[in-house]
Amino acid sequence: MADEALILAVPSKGRLEEETRRVFGESRLPITRPGGARSYVGAIKNQAGVSVRFYPAAEIARELITGAIDIGVTGSDLIHEAAENGVARVVLVKPLEFGRADVVVAVPDAWIDVTHMVDLADVASDFRYRHGRWLRVATKYVHLTRKFFAEWGIAEYRIVESAGATEAAPAAGAADLIVDITSSGETLQANALRILEDGVIMQSEAHLIVSRAADWTPLKKAQLEALLSIMGGVAPGISTQL
Amino acid sequence: MVAKTPSERRGAMVRLVESKTVQRVAPPLLLPAGPYLDLAGEEFGRQLLLTTANDGVEYCLRPDFTLPIAKSYLDDGMVGVPGAFTYLGPIFRQEDGVPVEYDQAGLELLGQPDAAAALDQVLTFARWALAIYDVTAPNIRLGGVGLFETFLAAMGISDHWQARIRHRFGHPASMHRLMQRLTNPEQRVAGAAPDARETIIEIVTDNMLQSGLSLVGSRLPEEIAERYIEKQALDASPIPDEMVALLVEYLSIVDVPQRALDRIYQMTRQAGIDIEDSLNTVRSHAAALIALSPKASVVFDAGFAPRLDYYTGVVFEMTGEAGDILASGGEYDRLLNRLGAAEPVTASGCALWTDRLEQEATRNNG
Repeated sequence: MADEALILAVPSKGRLEEETRRVFGESRLPITRPGGARSYVGAIKNQAGVSVRFYPAAEIARELITGAIDIGVTGSDLIHEAAENGVARVVLVKPLEFGRADVVVAVPDAWIDVTHMVDLADVASDFRYRHGRWLRVATKYVHLTRKFFAEWGIAEYRIVESAGATEAAPAAGAADLIVDITSSGETLQANALRILEDGVIMQSEAHLIVSRAADWTPLKKAQLEALLSIMGGVAPGISTQL
Repeated sequence: MVAKTPSERRGAMVRLVESKTVQRVAPPLLLPAGPYLDLAGEEFGRQLLLTTANDGVEYCLRPDFTLPIAKSYLDDGMVGVPGAFTYLGPIFRQEDGVPVEYDQAGLELLGQPDAAAALDQVLTFARWALAIYDVTAPNIRLGGVGLFETFLAAMGISDHWQARIRHRFGHPASMHRLMQRLTNPEQRVAGAAPDARETIIEIVTDNMLQSGLSLVGSRLPEEIAERYIEKQALDASPIPDEMVALLVEYLSIVDVPQRALDRIYQMTRQAGIDIEDSLNTVRSHAAALIALSPKASVVFDAGFAPRLDYYTGVVFEMTGEAGDILASGGEYDRLLNRLGAAEPVTASGCALWTDRLEQEATRNNG
């Protein structure tokens, strides 16, 4: 029976955790975390068939794609970033109206000649000739960046992977421009970076996401439908797509 | 000589790559990733299967044969000596995030004195390889990188516009966007009088200093100012409408080689542009190709080019019934320069996807 529990992954800390628990609470599905912030196992009151796990948001995206968990709450940006074809392996069943942010291309404000992606394509094309090295883009969104730049026909650049404080990379001399996530744009402004006018790669938001790759037994499908109907806002029949 | 079984076909392929006039080579499976990333950037980099040494140096499983063959030709000091190299073996790529092993065969002709003859030899090689797998009527798409470059240069438009257009050649979506921008006057920025260069440099320098940006580490204030002025000037004096129309028409041409090339001849002659020599070069290769494989369905696609900027002259790809690319190649005279050759070295070659060829053979033979 334990194997048949529906595994729901919830972000393990911060605002994403708070907001997720609030949304589930408002749907009369209060999430409990008996062991406190250090525990990674939880439950939903009155839902014995659902086992809750607390994981970092990026890990939730990866596990949804591999099918190690059945459903989870995480940012749609992380699904796109976790694997090149990640979005094909999940169903984004419901936007949750929090965790909204854009993944954007931002250049130093001093680059007054670069306002659109076409300008960046021009700069990239002769950057190596002028400077003897590739144009460098700092980001933690490697897949999204490669895909977006390829759509714009930009091939002449290198990605510098950055785990944190990406916005500081240009001033630190580690990169020439960045691809990063921003909600208000304030951090970018404070670092004298400017979003290109057509440089929004994607608009991200926390979603309730179902894994296509998980092991879907008829019982688990029924539990999923039951849970989604309590949450509301999702048309029945999602489980037939799995 | 039609081979009947997979092992017979394999045997015939081995004989083809080990024929007397060529040298079969086998570059290592594990190669430094740097040269690939330097040559082709992130777009190809995403396809590499990477591994990192303890000292942080990145290696990849051999993703193609052309680069290591060209590189050892240079490193061995062979420049000036004609080289004819063949290969047959596995390559490794990531596709849709999944590692895949393919089998590839191919020919590289480096530093050949007669570049035109070399290209015909490459086409012959590809044709024979396809014949081993009983593919006698492939679809062949020819492209003219050299022809397009000549055409662009002969149009008499500014160098800056030429560079922008050339850079987008082979990427239909971004070329289309540029053509849209050029044909749609509303999207052109009104031609404000360019500001004084010195003033702009000062403004940019101030901005960079305030932002804590190094004035020498990345784009220089002068460079930004110059491109800003250039952009204003370009927007103020765009390419004449009739030239844009000519470009759009050129890029749309896809037809059997003779009709396609005749049409390019007509339209350029009417516009007073002389690119006859380049046209004749493409004509003769197309004719040679059609003579080689009379059953093939050959088209010249004026907008077709690989996205790697070291390709130069005629390029081609051959597809089978399933639509997969079975063979691709062409001329890439800029490759050895990109790798550091001090003098120009002609290069042409092709790569064959032997797994897909085997599938075609199996399909055709039931």
